[in-house]
Amino acid sequence: MKFLCVPCDSPMKLQTVGPPERGSLSVVYSCPECGYEMAMLTNPFETQLVQSLGVRIGPDASSRLRAEGASASLTEASAEAGTEGTRAAGTSCPFAAMMPATEVALPDQAGEPIPVRWTSGAEARLANIPEFVRPMARTGIERFARERGTLEVDEKILDAARDFFGM
Amino acid sequence: MKRYHDIVGDGGSRVLEQVADQRSRITDGLAGVRHLVAVGSGKGGVGKSTLTLHLAGALRARGLRIAILDADFNGPSQARMAGVQGALFVPGSHKVALPRTRNGIGVFSMGSLIPESESLEFESAAQGESHTWRATREFALLGEILGSVEWGALDLLMFDLPPGAERTVQYADFLGPRTSFLLVTIPSEVARGVVARSVAALSKGPNRLLGYVENMSGYFCRDCNAIKPLFVSPDQPPPRLRRSAEASAKAEPFDAVQGRPSGLGIPCLGTVPFDPELARLCDTGIPLAELPETPVGRALEHVAQQLLDTLELTTPASPHGSRELRPGKEPRR
Repeated sequence: MKFLCVPCDSPMKLQTVGPPERGSLSVVYSCPECGYEMAMLTNPFETQLVQSLGVRIGPDASSRLRAEGASASLTEASAEAGTEGTRAAGTSCPFAAMMPATEVALPDQAGEPIPVRWTSGAEARLANIPEFVRPMARTGIERFARERGTLEVDEKILDAARDFFGM
Repeated sequence: MKRYHDIVGDGGSRVLEQVADQRSRITDGLAGVRHLVAVGSGKGGVGKSTLTLHLAGALRARGLRIAILDADFNGPSQARMAGVQGALFVPGSHKVALPRTRNGIGVFSMGSLIPESESLEFESAAQGESHTWRATREFALLGEILGSVEWGALDLLMFDLPPGAERTVQYADFLGPRTSFLLVTIPSEVARGVVARSVAALSKGPNRLLGYVENMSGYFCRDCNAIKPLFVSPDQPPPRLRRSAEASAKAEPFDAVQGRPSGLGIPCLGTVPFDPELARLCDTGIPLAELPETPVGRALEHVAQQLLDTLELTTPASPHGSRELRPGKEPRR
């Protein structure tokens, strides 16, 4: 979709994208010639059609609307279940609520869970894979690390897991 | 006043640019894959997934590098059948590593991610209107999977398609002309009719139709050591009730046995009898290759060889090629 400032006969430029509110997006365009601004307010149906393409809308990350589906907002149920979304604020997974509950850490002597630490390099690799795979990948890798007697996931552990499980 | 095509770009939303980027990522990710084959039908319940897995197994046993993408997101079955329900998705250097079966077939199935007690759901701003956007969302998910998995160097990537003649064509459009199609039917006029619609629809596009496989072409009775009929056409004389397993393995395709044309207009790559033992193996995730030689195993071997021959003997369709139907070579019978 493109917008044209009729008096100037000039294509309008996207300025901001407001966060979705009850399924509606507020997308502001302005004319680079005369400065006139207009807002496109989508209905939920229109919003979903665009989101279903798996694209992001907006000129910068702060105003981007994440495409729903593979990166939909986290459901309350999954947050309560302590899955990926609770650890990665702002990220989300549509399948998180469907994931079988898995342990996140073995209890120590006091009964408190011992978290597995991820190095920055390992976290960066995890961030490269689709969001809908991350929760299962994280818990599985942590289990793999524990089985090998370590509470740290680094790139060597990832490589070992890849050799063990992957093509 | 300017019109749509007078304006370069889209004013900053970058929607089209992102869609084009997605396509490029898919193309790049599949660059190392020699053959793309979609196994479809149009009809449900004809054994597409079973055939896909066991053909992959037969080809893997020949030393080929094979992977399966279970494209039936709403009814994924490859994870259970291939024994990768608990597969671990490991982050590679830039993409996610493809889980493999114990006989070395790469398998991506949503069944590895979502328990069978759950259905695939997408959050939506337009609840109650899923008929308008769901298919688009599922294809975006397919694109994300294709673009984010390490497919590497493969001889063959097989797509296990969901049922629906219209869906088959949508996959052809999405996957592009590099993807060839293998259709599956059963000896039932109802199934054959639906598959014929898929053939008609696919024939309007650039994708190659390699041929079809007739599945459940009788069943193997272990007590009798014979192939018995599963389906009998009301206007045809009943087929022979008793044939030896050896004779069945060497048998011509079902149509020749029945003395009637398939009506599909594409080559028959073989027939595969039903074997209850095969169903048990599928439920437990045991590869067919671990079974002793059986009639169904030999039939699958035959189909695998025909598929291989057809793939090697036909030229991939050009993105700019004609839109005529280009079936594979008629197999020797």
